[in-house]
Amino acid sequence: MKRLFYSFVILGLGLPGLVLAQDLDQLLDDLEENNPDPRYVMGTFEGTTIINGQSVELPGAGDLNFRISHRFGAVNLGIYEFFGLDQASTRFAFEYGIKDIASLSIGRSTYEKTYDGAVKIRLLRQQTGIKNIPVTVTVFSEAYVKSIRWDYPERDNLFTSRLSYATQVLVARKFGEIFSLQLSPTYVHKNLVPKPQDQNNIFAMGAGGRLRLTPRFAVNAEYFYLLPGQTAEDYINSLSVGIDIETGGHIFQLQFTNSRAMFARGFVTETTGEWLDGDIFFGFNLYRVFPLGEKRRNLRW
Amino acid sequence: MKRFLATMWMVLILSSAAEGQTIYVCENGSVDFISDAPLEMIQASSDKLVGALNIEDRSFSFRIPTKSFEGFNSSLQKTHFNQDYMESDRYPNSTFKGKIIEEIDLTQPGNYSIRAKGTMTIHGVGIDRIIRCNLNTGSNRIEVKSDFTIFLEDQNITIPSIVNKKIAEEIYVGIDLILVPK
Repeated sequence: MKRLFYSFVILGLGLPGLVLAQDLDQLLDDLEENNPDPRYVMGTFEGTTIINGQSVELPGAGDLNFRISHRFGAVNLGIYEFFGLDQASTRFAFEYGIKDIASLSIGRSTYEKTYDGAVKIRLLRQQTGIKNIPVTVTVFSEAYVKSIRWDYPERDNLFTSRLSYATQVLVARKFGEIFSLQLSPTYVHKNLVPKPQDQNNIFAMGAGGRLRLTPRFAVNAEYFYLLPGQTAEDYINSLSVGIDIETGGHIFQLQFTNSRAMFARGFVTETTGEWLDGDIFFGFNLYRVFPLGEKRRNLRW
Repeated sequence: MKRFLATMWMVLILSSAAEGQTIYVCENGSVDFISDAPLEMIQASSDKLVGALNIEDRSFSFRIPTKSFEGFNSSLQKTHFNQDYMESDRYPNSTFKGKIIEEIDLTQPGNYSIRAKGTMTIHGVGIDRIIRCNLNTGSNRIEVKSDFTIFLEDQNITIPSIVNKKIAEEIYVGIDLILVPK
């Protein structure tokens, strides 16, 4: 009986001690579990484009991106044209984030003196935590106005004939810190095509990837496969390789591509350069993020 | 004997119930920081600070998930904060664990200026620090306020020279939280 008595005394003194020694960290785990947070995957791609094509990324709410894209002439033009550097084709664009999930953009390209306007909306965001969503899904839809003078101005040319459209469903996943992959099914509609056999509706499948080798340096590649049809017979699939260099607020993308146009309709359905012939273009995209509104005051430049 | 056993059980139960009152917790404390550099000021905050304090032995543990910080001057900046500087996939939390130096009785209402001594781990680098805090204890709550600075270099966070006028070397951090009995 005495033993029982002592054991109770020990228990009585010892048990509170055990509770005391309760691991505070375990408690924190429990607190976090009670109050879970969605853990979004960030930075699937560095920029809003992988190379030519759109990535799943959007400018943040209230952010204005100013983007300058530039493609030189074909590398195989030789020393007289300084391997294409004497020639230039550009696209200037503004991208504005209305909300975290939606942005608008406008642009102007040298290529056929084209104006473009687009809407981009993120439907799903890759995340863990409360929900497990394995991919980010963004829809991109763009309209184009070709403003180049008509070949035959004496004809009755309609404004609607200047219009064309591209729509993409971008599905991407970031696999760890290094590798991201995106599929970009693309639909292009052209109101007017030059020849009767040309397609007004063109489908293509795009794929792009990024290898982020250091925090500020990545290698990208991108390919658009035209589904069989007249366009696929007349044109070449777009293939681009490039690098991203991030310098805090600026993003530089340098690339080689066989496409001259820097907007979806152009590079998906009107690419003519053959990689093996050296009919490729060196170029860069450069963009700068300008915070607007209240946040602007935090910048002292 | 039976009565004795019952009494012992009562003592046991009561003592462990009382023990429950020695642990105070916080589920949504706030942390904000400011980087005040010549060319840019960056502010961000989070209300996801969790913590626990044992008022008996005055030990504590606090934790904040890096990805919970919002603010910044652009979403790109937030991405860079997580991806390039804090590497929040590799080091998801910042923590502070240790003990209050002053032997005070936190069950007594009042204002206390105390020193919290422990290991602060940010970006995977743990540093022993003593942080001054103001405690305001009331009935069943302890309010904690503190501010301190963090040197990025100490935490092994390197700033590329191209942005060194936009990110301060010393970051001001403010803490505001309320602990309640668990």
